[in-house]
Amino acid sequence: MTHSDILVLDCRQVLASLSCWLDGDGTAELRAAIERHLARCGRCRVLVDTTRHTLRLLVETEPFEVPLAVSARLYARLEQALRES
Amino acid sequence: MPTEPEAATADAHDRELVARTLAGDRAAFEALVRRHERRVYRVAMALLGNPEDAADALQDCFLQAYRHLDQFRGDARFSTWLVRIAVNAALQQRRDRDGAASLDELMAAGEFMPARLHPWHPSPEQLYGRHELRRLVEQAVAALPEPYRAVLVLRDLEGLSAEETAAALGLTVPAVKSRLHRARLVLREYLAAHLERPAGLRARLLRAAAGLRDRVARRVLATMGRKP
Repeated sequence: MTHSDILVLDCRQVLASLSCWLDGDGTAELRAAIERHLARCGRCRVLVDTTRHTLRLLVETEPFEVPLAVSARLYARLEQALRES
Repeated sequence: MPTEPEAATADAHDRELVARTLAGDRAAFEALVRRHERRVYRVAMALLGNPEDAADALQDCFLQAYRHLDQFRGDARFSTWLVRIAVNAALQQRRDRDGAASLDELMAAGEFMPARLHPWHPSPEQLYGRHELRRLVEQAVAALPEPYRAVLVLRDLEGLSAEETAAALGLTVPAVKSRLHRARLVLREYLAAHLERPAGLRARLLRAAAGLRDRVARRVLATMGRKP
């Protein structure tokens, strides 16, 4: 491969491929190009790191817990339905 | 999100509970509800955005699941099957509430450009307590426009594949991918406002400055108080 054949991405293209990168998708060529870009672009590295961090927090904080009262109503309703069935 | 082997073990247990429920064991159904109420509630919150409607959808979902349990064929995970019922229950709830609002209502199109690109505090758990951090994430998710919220919750929280998410929401796979991409960026931007290091540092400096000001003021007042 000559130098001009190497895929070079700008920040906008890396941004567009961000989800693909985080999900492990994309061709080997695209992934290598993203990796080269990240090696020399601090802002895009921050973007990748903080997006990964965002997804980790989304899972780890376990948002939207069922309120106790809601859970109690659910069980009461189901018990009634199961008795009727 | 559980790892693949954990999810497979959990699914095997679910299938066993389904079989026992179908054989007439009500306690087995209750166990299924306990295992999944949280997941169903999250999906309902993602689609409906308010706790009362989500509570109704939660009940409808499990009643439907109980009635149609014999139709669970086992070609998908039980949790995925249940999420689809939850989505339908939530959509029905919304139709009852708003009339004909459709899932395809789009937010303004166009590319989303991240603006906050400072590194984050490495362990936000130290900046915020666990409950505070959860509330922050809940607010960030709630702030997303609905079609984006639903895709994010199904994909990144419940771990459905792009294909399963597309089927559950009646979207194409490319639509799921583009919405997920945007949802993640918007969520990141919202959290960045709270978790960026310079912002955190600035806040600490401001607090320190305020404390210093108070001490100086107290000393000045004390000095003045001593003088006639």
